[in-house]
Amino acid sequence: MSDVISVDDLVLVYADGTKAVDGISFQVNEGEFFGFLGPNGAGKSTTIKVLTTLLKKTSGKVSVEGLNIEKDADKVRKLIGVQSQETVLDPDLTAKENMMLQGHLHQMGGEELRKRVDELLGLVGLADVTDKRAGHFSGGMKKRLDLASALVHKPKLLFLDEPTTGLDPQSRATIWEYLSKLNRDDGITIFLTTQYMEEADKLCKRLFIIDQGKIVANGTPESLKREVGADSITMKFEEGSSSGDTKERAKEVLGGIEGVSKIIDSEEGITVYAKNAGTIIADIVRALDSSSIHLSSVNFASPTLDDVFLQHTGRRIRAEELNTKKTTFARFGAARRPVRQ
Amino acid sequence: MSLASDTWHLFVRSIKKVLRNPILLFFSLLQPIIFLVLFTQLFSRFSQVPGLFPPGITYLEYATPGILLQNGFSSALQSGTSIVDELNSGMLEKMLVTPVNRSAILLGRLLSDAFRVVVQSIIILVLAYILGFTVAAGPGGILSMLVVIAFFGLAWSGISLAIGMRTRSAETVFGIGGFLTFPLPFMSDALVPTSAMPSWMATVSGVNPISYAVDAVRSVSLPSTALSTLSLSLPGNVLVALGYIAAIAVVTLGATLYLFRKVVK
Repeated sequence: MSDVISVDDLVLVYADGTKAVDGISFQVNEGEFFGFLGPNGAGKSTTIKVLTTLLKKTSGKVSVEGLNIEKDADKVRKLIGVQSQETVLDPDLTAKENMMLQGHLHQMGGEELRKRVDELLGLVGLADVTDKRAGHFSGGMKKRLDLASALVHKPKLLFLDEPTTGLDPQSRATIWEYLSKLNRDDGITIFLTTQYMEEADKLCKRLFIIDQGKIVANGTPESLKREVGADSITMKFEEGSSSGDTKERAKEVLGGIEGVSKIIDSEEGITVYAKNAGTIIADIVRALDSSSIHLSSVNFASPTLDDVFLQHTGRRIRAEELNTKKTTFARFGAARRPVRQ
Repeated sequence: MSLASDTWHLFVRSIKKVLRNPILLFFSLLQPIIFLVLFTQLFSRFSQVPGLFPPGITYLEYATPGILLQNGFSSALQSGTSIVDELNSGMLEKMLVTPVNRSAILLGRLLSDAFRVVVQSIIILVLAYILGFTVAAGPGGILSMLVVIAFFGLAWSGISLAIGMRTRSAETVFGIGGFLTFPLPFMSDALVPTSAMPSWMATVSGVNPISYAVDAVRSVSLPSTALSTLSLSLPGNVLVALGYIAAIAVVTLGATLYLFRKVVK
């Protein structure tokens, strides 16, 4: 078995009937940095919980390091390190005690454990606060300590469930650095879930995009973006005019423009794809304007993982990330002048 | 092997948590301490009324065992809040993805609850000693007293843990715990002898497990002359109490174990 993780047609239905994971299959190779990208509720955490022996699958075949995750659960647990989405630490214990406890639960002890704990606390930059209680730490420090505690027993395979959600950009960058280092220098296989495209793009060598319990696309971040094949132009319409009718009319107009390859109607407006957005954008604005469809903003950008997601699902991954990811090309105020013909 | 060492490490962790929150420990002791000081003053003259209280012993001597068990009861009924915390914080899941022995998680918790009750009891005993309370059966008596209280606590911890795992709500654990803590010790012979109660309450007291545990502690602490007037005997009452406690424990800890297995799976 060269696959570290092998999942074949995994289904998980919760007791209340919710189908969280709906027939997914994938393999993770040794030493890989593998990622699941998807919005909240896509089934990412559920998949991790199955793979880490916390949840019993409804059907499908799952093995970790060639072991059956149900029959050999204890053996699997010895090999894996897990960081869950919520940072879990004992606030009453010091950083060191939290680490020691985690080691003890992995049947480690003595000088070996003490050395390992010191080494890891140094690695995540907590060497100065080893005897401070974890409850007093900042969010970023807690995440780092939680990550370190998942590494105490030198796992070969690390599961990280949204390891940077809720962190400020600086703490996020620090975590990214550790993770790259662990994968590159220590050869640890990493399975990461995230709802941040930037994170998936930067870290993962191979990516599965997941939505509503199903895999919608997979490949390297580069190949996925290449698949989009074109730049995206996203336009929003003026307040009050973005009714279904305006959108429909706009779609009609856009469909008639040469070079527009795909038109997607999403909650925030309309996105079209075109080989060369820079030259076609003027045609678009002119054509819409002559049909009295008023734009409030137009953005264009090279393809991102979000475009991959949008193309497959018709939705964005996270609305709040939209504003930071695109370059605003033009912003039209309410008092805009009509473009002269 | 891993059961013993895992239980030990989790036990130590829980103890650290108790000791690092001395304010919580203090507040949990506030009620028994107030009862000890206030009640023993309030009822000190009542206890000399012939026919109501057994002759020859002070109210402090009579009621201290009752206050010890009342504390053990209410303390045990709060122990479910800790498992709620473990469940909701994700700590339990963090433990469950390690190869830790599953039973050790529950055992470590129960032992630390028992330990907490013992620490509280020792503090109450020291305070009672300062006020003039003594244990007739000596150091061995104190030990068997603490054993009875610890097991009594364990048996009731089970109910609290089961409620905690079932509801995952600390408020519910507190609510139900508080609801039981208030009336039940008063409807036992913890503070007032059964002979001084209206007959319906005497009937309740007669089956109330708290009465049995209190009698066991009294049989150890009171001088032998007083034992006969209260128709208590040593070690008879201790054995009866332990038997009763064991019967309760089978039910409550059985329920706890059942629910814990469900949570773990």
